Amino acid sequence: MLIVHCPVCGAEGDETDFHYGGEAHIRRPATEDPASVSDAAQRDYLFMRRNPKGLHFERWRCDRGCGKWFHAVRDTLTMDFKGTYGITELPPRALMEAATGEWASFFKDKLAAVQPARKGKSS
Amino acid sequence: MSEAQFESALQSREGPADLSVEIREITGRGMIDLRGLAGERKFMAAVKEVLGLDLPKAPRTSAAWGDIQALWLSTDQWLILFPRAKTGELLSALRKALAGIHSFAVDVSDMRSIIRVEGDDARMVLLKGSTLDLLSPEYAAGTVRRLRFAEIAALLHIVSAGPDVIDVYVFRSYADYAWDWFLANGRAVAALRPFGRQATPTV
Repeated sequence: MLIVHCPVCGAEGDETDFHYGGEAHIRRPATEDPASVSDAAQRDYLFMRRNPKGLHFERWRCDRGCGKWFHAVRDTLTMDFKGTYGITELPPRALMEAATGEWASFFKDKLAAVQPARKGKSS
Repeated sequence: MSEAQFESALQSREGPADLSVEIREITGRGMIDLRGLAGERKFMAAVKEVLGLDLPKAPRTSAAWGDIQALWLSTDQWLILFPRAKTGELLSALRKALAGIHSFAVDVSDMRSIIRVEGDDARMVLLKGSTLDLLSPEYAAGTVRRLRFAEIAALLHIVSAGPDVIDVYVFRSYADYAWDWFLANGRAVAALRPFGRQATPTV
């Protein structure tokens, strides 16, 4: 049983009070440029998901609580929640740096864009 | 067309016997689902003018003024409770005061059934259907918590603590099931005792 903490209302409960919403930070290609979405891009958007061993970034909903969506970082090896952050935010810097594999390359340019002054602010 | 009449979802149910808690249905309560931005001063002021209370901003709390109560449901959602007869009057007053403000108020009086659980064992019975630590001091009088209760969505309102009076709000279509659940799990012979040192039975 996973113990989940909602960053919006502060409720803590087990996973049955929450709802898993799949992988985080997926952008719909047609939102940016509906006229030229390649088949490959659409396929990746619909079906291709990461399956990391270690840190995974995912969406959760405080389903039976305040009803709000949020992001959570979970270690798929230990099932341990490493942190949560707002649904419109990027992960705290420390967690972006801790990401490995595909997630590390996903966050590489985002890390570069984050000003050092913002360090830890969004945690 | 004739006016729709309210009928309780539990009216044909037998009164409980041999339970370790007292359960009964609360009827005659009107409910309004109110949504708006807690950070917007205009919205909070308009609501206060109509209801006479400040909407609770802290998670899982409630506020009361006279016969009106406001339960916190989410950061932008409240459930307003009042005597059913006042529904039309309150709703139109709210809508009038909130005109032009990003918000909505909807009459949801028939949406949920309310089962009141009373007695020293109330928390022990509710524990059987939830994963929350209802015995912790966090769940004091006035606490409101939406939760997954007995596999269904429910809302707990701790009306008073010691002696415990707890209102359980379930969606109307689940009222029958919830009532059955209490009949089965509230039986005195099935009472729970918390872990720890137990009295040694005399032989």
